[in-house]
Amino acid sequence: MRVVLAEDSTLLREGLVRLLAEEGHEVLAAVGDGDALLSATAAHRPDVIVTDVRMPPTHTDEGLRAALEIRSRFPEVGVLVLSQYVEKRYATELITDDGGRVGYLLKDRVAQVGEFLDALDRVGAGGAAFDPEVVRRLLARTTHSDPLGKLTAREREVLDLMAQGHTNAGIAGQLYVSLSAVEKHVNSIFDKLALSHTSGYSRRVLAVLRYLGS
Amino acid sequence: MELSWVRAAGRGTAGLAAGAVTALAESIYVVAGTLALALPPARPGVYAGARALAELERRRLVRFFDAENGDDYTGGRALRYLGLRCVTGLLGAGVLLLIVYGAVSAIIMLGQIFSGGQVGGGSEPADWYDSITIFLFGLLLAFIAVQGLISVAKLDQVLANRFFGPSAQELLRRRVSELSITRAEVVEAVNDERRRIERDLHDGVQQRLVALGMLLGRARRAGDAERAAELVRQAHEESQQALRDLREVTWRVYPVALDDGGLHPALEAVAESAGVPVHLDFGLGERPSLAVETVAYFVVSEAVTNAMKHASATRVDVSVHRTGTMLSVRIIDDGRGGARPAGGLSGLARRVAAADGEFTVDSPVGGPTTITAELPCG
Repeated sequence: MRVVLAEDSTLLREGLVRLLAEEGHEVLAAVGDGDALLSATAAHRPDVIVTDVRMPPTHTDEGLRAALEIRSRFPEVGVLVLSQYVEKRYATELITDDGGRVGYLLKDRVAQVGEFLDALDRVGAGGAAFDPEVVRRLLARTTHSDPLGKLTAREREVLDLMAQGHTNAGIAGQLYVSLSAVEKHVNSIFDKLALSHTSGYSRRVLAVLRYLGS
Repeated sequence: MELSWVRAAGRGTAGLAAGAVTALAESIYVVAGTLALALPPARPGVYAGARALAELERRRLVRFFDAENGDDYTGGRALRYLGLRCVTGLLGAGVLLLIVYGAVSAIIMLGQIFSGGQVGGGSEPADWYDSITIFLFGLLLAFIAVQGLISVAKLDQVLANRFFGPSAQELLRRRVSELSITRAEVVEAVNDERRRIERDLHDGVQQRLVALGMLLGRARRAGDAERAAELVRQAHEESQQALRDLREVTWRVYPVALDDGGLHPALEAVAESAGVPVHLDFGLGERPSLAVETVAYFVVSEAVTNAMKHASATRVDVSVHRTGTMLSVRIIDDGRGGARPAGGLSGLARRVAAADGEFTVDSPVGGPTTITAELPCG
């Protein structure tokens, strides 16, 4: 995939560039702040951008603001945000953004190289990728009339993985069950959460998460 | 807002009027009393009377001007005060009389204008601009009169301050307000430091660990053994670096050396780990309290860090000495100067203020920068 990278720590930026190159991705530009990310994205039109949240000059949410702007200006570009910690506000802002091609990972997840690359592939393929930790936090937020209370433990597991952006096949692989079993669980979840059946896994992730964040 | 200002002006004017009345009594008393002082037996009485009058004045200032003063003064001092006070009081009386006179004149002239007569009662026919001239002139006089009132009120308070000094209560109030400010500043300084620690951990140590994890992850995915071994070697180095970073962060959080050996070894460690030559002149015999040592330590370490980071200094001189009950810390660097006390040094200023110390920064553009902290240490 063609990737533009924004990360202010030279150390991590170099590491990411090497990693992505080793995995056969093409890094078009690696920059250190939000403005440079915007101009590099405009110039190269990559498949996916990977960006840190805290970058110069203010070290608050430059990366995220750049990411949201890229979402609106270049909707065809996938966005994968790396955050230092779970920021519900950011996560929800990205999640409520329809159309997939979006991911929100904890920065530490990069150290789990396999998971990071997997998330990048999913976002590049038009899907979604949310950090398990982020999902856990968002799921934990449903204290009011807990709709998840109706789910079985197995269904919760499936929802958890679904929310991270995994496909039914992926979920089946992770839980060591058959694809049809997963499909059954998924349908049952939609029934219990009173969600309309939609096709395309990114949209169902967004729908589920939006429902939980409401 | 407006209303309170008007109210204060009204109260002040009433206070001046009261002061004018007392001034008449006081001037008589001062003259008589001073003559009576020639007779030794009459002296205690004269002083007691002077004190009573002075107390009356003190109460008047509190009542009308919220100006508190102490009441620990002698009869002789009271009499001397009255001698000067009756002059300002009579001055106030003069200003008030002028205002009354001006007001009455203004009313009469207004009457003349409305009745179509001559303004000022002259026999000449009035020119068209006469009333304007008189109006402007009246405005000028009114302004001067108000200024006069304000000045007399000020003089009154200055005199009282000069002779009586601030009251215990006033001193207490000042101290309390000073303490509430420093308390708020300490909280702010602590928050600043926590923010800095958070940044140090996130932007330093955490990044290193993520990079380390990435190297190991790449090593595991590497196809050939040689590449994997090379990546593991890099990861090993990275882990050493992460440890060094962590040590540095914890050291910045709290230098343990302070607890063990005190300020001297802790400052030596600062000097050794600085990237530029730091010359330490340490002249303390016995150890001050740990609280004072901690403040002094942070002043030096922050100032040295700033000198390196922001001023590109090539040499820093640090001196720590005790003069009487004060511990004085001075840091001079030959960097480019232009450091502002309001900038990165504000945290230090707050720390020093919280310890009742004095913090000064002298940093002309082009350098050199001198940072001084004077800390009371009993």
